[in-house]
Amino acid sequence: MIELLERADPAKDLDADRGRLRGKVDERIGLSAPLRPPAIARIRKPWLIAVASFAAVIAVAVPVALRTDSPSVFAPSLDGLAAHPGVQAAVPLASGGLQAMDAEDDTIWVMTTLQNVLQEVSAESGEVEATFSIDARVEGLVIGGGRLWLISPDNGGEVLRFDPERGAVDLTIPVEGVPGWAGWLGDSIWVSRDQADVIRISTEGEIVDTVPGELKGGEGLGYLWVSDPDTDLISSLSEAEQLGDMVIPTEPGLETMSGSGIRQVAEADGRLFLLDGDHPWGTNLNVFDPDSSEFGAFASLTFGLLDLIEFDGYLWVTSSSDHLLIRIDPTSGEQHRYPLPGKPAGLVVADDALWVTLYQPGALIRLDTRADLIESSPIVADDWNRFPHRLLCTGSGDAGGPTIILQPSDWIDYGSWSVIQAELSGEGHIVCANGYVEGETTPKQQAADLEEALTEADIPGPYLLVAAVDGVHSARLFAAGADDLAGIVLVDPMPVGFQGFYDDLLPDLAGHPPWLDLDAELSESLDDLGDLPLTVIEQDPNAVFLSPGFVEGFGREAAESVDAYWQRGLAFYRGLSSSSRSVIANGTGLDMVTWDQPDLVIEQVLELLRR
Amino acid sequence: MSERSALELTEPPGVRFDHLFEANYSAIYRYCARRLGRSDAEDAAADVFTVAWRRLDDMPEGDARRAWLFAVAHHVVGGQYRSRERRSRLSTRLEQTTDPNNEHLELAGDIDNLLTALDGLSRTDQELLRLSSWDGLTRTEIAHVLGIKENAVDQRLHRARNRLKLRFDRLDSEASSPTHKETPA
Repeated sequence: MIELLERADPAKDLDADRGRLRGKVDERIGLSAPLRPPAIARIRKPWLIAVASFAAVIAVAVPVALRTDSPSVFAPSLDGLAAHPGVQAAVPLASGGLQAMDAEDDTIWVMTTLQNVLQEVSAESGEVEATFSIDARVEGLVIGGGRLWLISPDNGGEVLRFDPERGAVDLTIPVEGVPGWAGWLGDSIWVSRDQADVIRISTEGEIVDTVPGELKGGEGLGYLWVSDPDTDLISSLSEAEQLGDMVIPTEPGLETMSGSGIRQVAEADGRLFLLDGDHPWGTNLNVFDPDSSEFGAFASLTFGLLDLIEFDGYLWVTSSSDHLLIRIDPTSGEQHRYPLPGKPAGLVVADDALWVTLYQPGALIRLDTRADLIESSPIVADDWNRFPHRLLCTGSGDAGGPTIILQPSDWIDYGSWSVIQAELSGEGHIVCANGYVEGETTPKQQAADLEEALTEADIPGPYLLVAAVDGVHSARLFAAGADDLAGIVLVDPMPVGFQGFYDDLLPDLAGHPPWLDLDAELSESLDDLGDLPLTVIEQDPNAVFLSPGFVEGFGREAAESVDAYWQRGLAFYRGLSSSSRSVIANGTGLDMVTWDQPDLVIEQVLELLRR
Repeated sequence: MSERSALELTEPPGVRFDHLFEANYSAIYRYCARRLGRSDAEDAAADVFTVAWRRLDDMPEGDARRAWLFAVAHHVVGGQYRSRERRSRLSTRLEQTTDPNNEHLELAGDIDNLLTALDGLSRTDQELLRLSSWDGLTRTEIAHVLGIKENAVDQRLHRARNRLKLRFDRLDSEASSPTHKETPA
């Protein structure tokens, strides 16, 4: 295949006209023509980032590592979370970029990366005990030696030592390289650097030594674990800096992934389990038996695997793409999958319970793992091996009625529907979450892909479309080509042209994709759906564009202008059908309805089914 | 700093730029042609070297220069590429399929299917495969151009190749199926 691809190179025999090209270059240099600016990286949802940024400014405009009163002015409502089965407590945190957490006894520390906020949470009371502003981007957090160790890529890589008693960073240790995983072993913190070596730092902040290899997350069998970049084998790293007491034969060629692909390790049942974070085809949980030195495949999970820990006799893994907590029996390999009420970012054990941080919405939840958690329904179809996008269909279909399609948007990918999907599947409906595993796409492409996937997976119509935010565009295009549509539910739909309007209003924040001509994309969609049942779930303007944070950040005039544009868009959507109705998701919006009020979405879908 | 790079820095900017141009113009031109088609490649390549001239002092030393130059090309082409994507696909396909010297029709069919399969991949997958197989960049260079870690290059390339093969196999089986219908010309 690679050889054929090389032969397919359309330019392999192409020669530049050197003289003419050089002439053009000289002409441009000589004329001092203004430079073409480099393409602006696409910023998804600039208004969301803007609001988060203003929230951050308001929240953390204080000196380094001083306690702050409020973590975020844009903390979402957590009504939906608290009501979720198995959730014993939901702690609102600063929203955006929860990437680092660790726990000791009954204290949990969470670093919210985008807002540079460090928070101390009592696992006993479920309350935020303290909030600190950290003047650095922190991507890792380790507790050890009575201190917190904050891992930052700033200034060429550094480790910040944080004293929880004083509530301050009291030492900055340059590590001169890009830091990766970090762990505590013995009396030192060990930090991976440049994926090439591991540095050992004493509690006094001195770099004691370095050992070759790339550190993995977690620990097991009394060791940290590193992969050797030369051999791609994983070996143990002892407290005495001894490498290779145990070497795991993770070489390529086995069914399992190579050492460099292993993300985290955990010990259970006297064996070491190794998680491959991003290996979509095949096994991504492997096992090493120290007694027999055998290494092999253990379980195939899903995409976007984040964390692996042992608790209560089971292995627990989070999936950031599917929004799942997966429980695995380390003996039998039996799996149970629990939809999480948000996008997970971190997983720790504290106060004899599992705690998960949710990237969206910004929250920390305590799970009762012995309770009756929602069990995902049987999988009807999962086409992940055939498309770059994914169609995950669940449910028995016993309830009859149309197949419910959950259509993605930029920030509401298929995992974002996990709770809604599980609940509706539980009602006996077949529910398909549609979404892209990676890569950019367009509404037209999404609509075509959905049609193709439904055909290939043989998912029967009629269909009820549920689309969120800018997923409404692809839903309208799909509707235009479908003759067996039972209805549409639009969740917080984004008006056509809103992104361009927003960019014009606030050009400094412009980030719309220049390659996407939305008018052309939507030219085949319908402006009149006849009397097709339609429900529009609208965001609460007072919670979004007219909220205090937005008004303070952009000014009242701009805020009202943005809201007026949005309202006109909603009126357009309501007018698509003569059989439409609308409800307002009080207190929420801006991509957050599915997180804050999943019950409302479920209720409206069921209502439309009854109509 | 190596002896060679120290020497290079003492050379006048014009001479340094000449070296850079001579060593890389062909590769950069082909890079642009693969993504924009032949007609726009020259202008895009000229833009790349114009940026290089203006940022000559920012340029890294030694082997990293090539990756730096490709990263500039990646940015320059990016803006044009997206708006002209369909046209460029057409032009690069035409350049390939109208090769009068191609005597191996079966191979030509495979290549046509492969290019169709490539077109169907995500933009990221396409770019990874092109950088690796067509532009001949190393994993380190690809990581620099795309701004990702080297390990991620390996993993993503692995996945991109798998996806390419899946799409190619599907096209291949459709083509060989007796129920396959030819699209009228």
